[in-house]
Amino acid sequence: MAKQPEDRRLELLQGTLDMLILRTLQWGPQHGHGIGQAIRAQSDDLLKVETGSLYPALHRLVKREWLKAEWGVSEANQRAKFYRLTAAGKAQLSREQDRWSQLVDAIGRVMNPARAGKE
Amino acid sequence: MRPSQNDLDDEIRGHMALSIKERIERGEDPESARLAALKEFGNVTLTRDSMNAVWHHRWRESVEALGRDIRFAVRALLRAKGLAATVVVTLALGIGANAAIFSVVRGVLLRPLVNRDEDRLIYIRQSAPGVGAANLNFSVPEIIDIKSRATTVSAIGDFSTVDFALIGLGGEPRMVKAGVVGGSFFDVMGLRPVLGRLLGPQDDGPNAEGAAVLTNRFWTTSLNSDPTVVGKRIRLGQRSAVVVGVLEPSVPYPADTEIIANVVSSPHHLGATMVTSRTHRMTELFARLAPGATVEDARAELTAIHAGIVRDHPEAYVPKANTQLRVSKLREQIAAPARTILLVLLAAAAVVFVIACSNVANLILARSVRREGELAVRAALGAGQHALRRTLLAESLVLCGAGAALGILLAQPMVALVARYAARFSVRALEVRVDTSVLWVGVGLAMIAAVLLAYVPRLPSPCAPAGLGLASGGVRITPGTNRRLRIFATTQIAFSFVLLAGAGMLLATLVALQSARTGYDMRHVVAFDIPTPATGVGGAKVLDFYQRATERVSTLPGVTGAAVGSFVPWRDAGTFGPGIQFTVDGYKLADGEENPRARFRIAGPNFFSVLGVPLIAGRDFTNEDREGTELVSIVSQSVAQRLFPNGDAINRHMWWVDPYFGPKPAPRRIVGVVADVDDEQVLQRTAMTIYQPVRQIGLAGRLFVHTAGDPHSVMPEVARVIHELSSDQPVERGATLEDVRAEVLSPERVNAFVFSGFAGIALLIAVVGVAGVLAFSVSARTREFGVRLAVGAAPRHLLARVLSEGIVIAAIGIAAGAAGGYALARMAASVFDQVQLPGVLTVTVAAGVLIGAAVIASLMPATRASRVDVLQALRSE
Repeated sequence: MAKQPEDRRLELLQGTLDMLILRTLQWGPQHGHGIGQAIRAQSDDLLKVETGSLYPALHRLVKREWLKAEWGVSEANQRAKFYRLTAAGKAQLSREQDRWSQLVDAIGRVMNPARAGKE
Repeated sequence: MRPSQNDLDDEIRGHMALSIKERIERGEDPESARLAALKEFGNVTLTRDSMNAVWHHRWRESVEALGRDIRFAVRALLRAKGLAATVVVTLALGIGANAAIFSVVRGVLLRPLVNRDEDRLIYIRQSAPGVGAANLNFSVPEIIDIKSRATTVSAIGDFSTVDFALIGLGGEPRMVKAGVVGGSFFDVMGLRPVLGRLLGPQDDGPNAEGAAVLTNRFWTTSLNSDPTVVGKRIRLGQRSAVVVGVLEPSVPYPADTEIIANVVSSPHHLGATMVTSRTHRMTELFARLAPGATVEDARAELTAIHAGIVRDHPEAYVPKANTQLRVSKLREQIAAPARTILLVLLAAAAVVFVIACSNVANLILARSVRREGELAVRAALGAGQHALRRTLLAESLVLCGAGAALGILLAQPMVALVARYAARFSVRALEVRVDTSVLWVGVGLAMIAAVLLAYVPRLPSPCAPAGLGLASGGVRITPGTNRRLRIFATTQIAFSFVLLAGAGMLLATLVALQSARTGYDMRHVVAFDIPTPATGVGGAKVLDFYQRATERVSTLPGVTGAAVGSFVPWRDAGTFGPGIQFTVDGYKLADGEENPRARFRIAGPNFFSVLGVPLIAGRDFTNEDREGTELVSIVSQSVAQRLFPNGDAINRHMWWVDPYFGPKPAPRRIVGVVADVDDEQVLQRTAMTIYQPVRQIGLAGRLFVHTAGDPHSVMPEVARVIHELSSDQPVERGATLEDVRAEVLSPERVNAFVFSGFAGIALLIAVVGVAGVLAFSVSARTREFGVRLAVGAAPRHLLARVLSEGIVIAAIGIAAGAAGGYALARMAASVFDQVQLPGVLTVTVAAGVLIGAAVIASLMPATRASRVDVLQALRSE
């Protein structure tokens, strides 16, 4: 297996994990392991979610009723808990997405004032 | 929905399986895949805990932790039984006393009356502070004036008290106290009958049928709640009346009577004096506030009306009397006499609570010092300040909870005791029952104590090196802890001193009262009430009865003399009003001086010799001092000295100037001078008294018998002889003068008893406190004592040293208590009228008792210090 060099890996920004989970579940229900793998794959192996953060986050989102959890059988015929986005979760995702792009935009303007000015 | 623990485990297991499976599919061998997956997952327990934590509330976590701590505390305390028991009992005493007194305070001062709309019910009182009349009552013309003018009250009810000889309802004829009321009384008071009906407007006025209502107490205690009593005809003195109903249980105010009758039942109430004389005041007034009116409105209006009445009738209101009108809510009026005493008791109970708490704080502090090692270990293992506090809080909660439970148990009999005591001041105390308020007070106090106690001990500081505490199992006291221990012990001594001095003051008063010389032969004189069996003047028949009765009683075996009089010392105090103005021939008033006042008393022949009052000059009354012969009187020594400074009182004349004795002065020749006695107050003051012979007045009502042997054995004989002479003559309340004095002093005795109880509890707790502090200090300084002994200190020096520490604590406490108590008394003096400071002797005795207690408390630890085994002490660390 090709292990990623440690220096390439990025720390997750505080408060973005929830958004990433919600986003990942947009394509359909998934179990915890799958969510972790999906984030890793989508980020081109740059983001790695620790299970110690992932599972408490999943439970937190269930408690807020943005996700719904139910037991199912995985593609590998393995019993696993699947998480599914609720209507409230979808709304939350779009809110977080908006906030995120505003944040990126704002930080971008600060970091690259010249380019921001040209646009 | 909170997932179950299995659910969490399954989820983690599922994750692992997927992770392993994936790695195997990528070509890793199963064993290394499993290890890699485990490694990747990290700390399983921690993850699981954080997943759990998502579903937990913060407080819930704390409660669960506290629950664990409490279980731990119970186990730990079971290992320290002696300490736990001391703490629990101390707290129980403090909490029990407070809960009991609070129940009574609540029952007497705060609980509503049973009367309908009781907060609209007011009491109106006329007083004349200028002549010392706290309650002057109202006369019928005054009531008519007030009724016709008042608009802030919707109705006024009146009540006056008379004595009747009651015949009927079975049993012997008996004197009953009766209320006489107008038609509006029961409606104004808002009371209901439990049987029959109450008196209404149809029973008012001189032409109604005689009707009477029995009070609930009389009906239940004397008539066994006889349901057939309604409709019975009874004789009340000269009149008769029909029992129309029984009153519901209610506070008997203004007087605890047996029956309440309508006006027509009392000939006196129909007489001209009652109806027309503005100064013939014997009626109490109650009123209901008119809709929309407040007590303040009524007070403003009624005092204005009263001022107008005083202006219109200057002849009936002497300016010096300073006649005033007061309006208060009935509930407050009923509670008023008990208010001060109950608040003082509440303060005493609070002091006991403070002492108990500081003692318990001491014990807990000492325990926590012993536990410092344990706490240091906990801190080293990562317990935060909060967790350590929680451990301590759990322990104090367990202790205080147990204390509260025991205290509430103790409170129940205490409530009964305090209520019986408070009943002397307010009738409402009789209805006080143990209720849930005791529980709430107990629990509340326990909570306060628990939180305070948890914050007393010092926690091991996270910065300080814990090595010392961890390494040695021994006890070390830091100067800070030592200071705190001593401060708590000093606090206890200070508060105990205040209570002791207070109790001492009450005891000193009681002793002074009980040992005061009264001027009477206290042991051998028996007093009886022989009320005239009908209201109204006695007449010759009664006078002859007196003469024959005293003659017959005098001949009884064991009796050395008998006489009639009008006034049983102390027991009848206040019933004859303040002194009456008189003058003597040849006495010139100074400018602006009022006529002197003297007590007016009636005496039969031999009165003075029977009571043991020495005749100083002249002669006693005889049977020849009678109606139609020369008017005579006997004066007390103080009258003779003040008005006849030359010592020539005998054969001079005096006369009453009060209009009650007729418009024309009737000079009386002074035939005798007797020693001064004070029959109003037990503690004798100079009281000018003038006696008149019974046959020239016509009424006595009291019989005095001087006995040679046991006075109590004579009593039934006296009653038998009198019943032989007159079968319906009541003979009541037989008692020696000593009994009478004891009875009169019983509030003082109970005061002293209750306060001594409090002071005793406080002293006990303080002794335990001082002993505890010193014992702890000694046990922590074993090594120091060992060194001292090793370098040659004599054991008695160590003994003296520890003893002196105890005495210093006590001395500082006493000084603080004296200063604080003095400040407190000064403060109280601005709120209450009569605040006394204890005398020097009392203070000295209280201080001596405390120092003595401190010495005794220090003795045990001191002897232990002097007997320290040098070798063991030095080897112990």
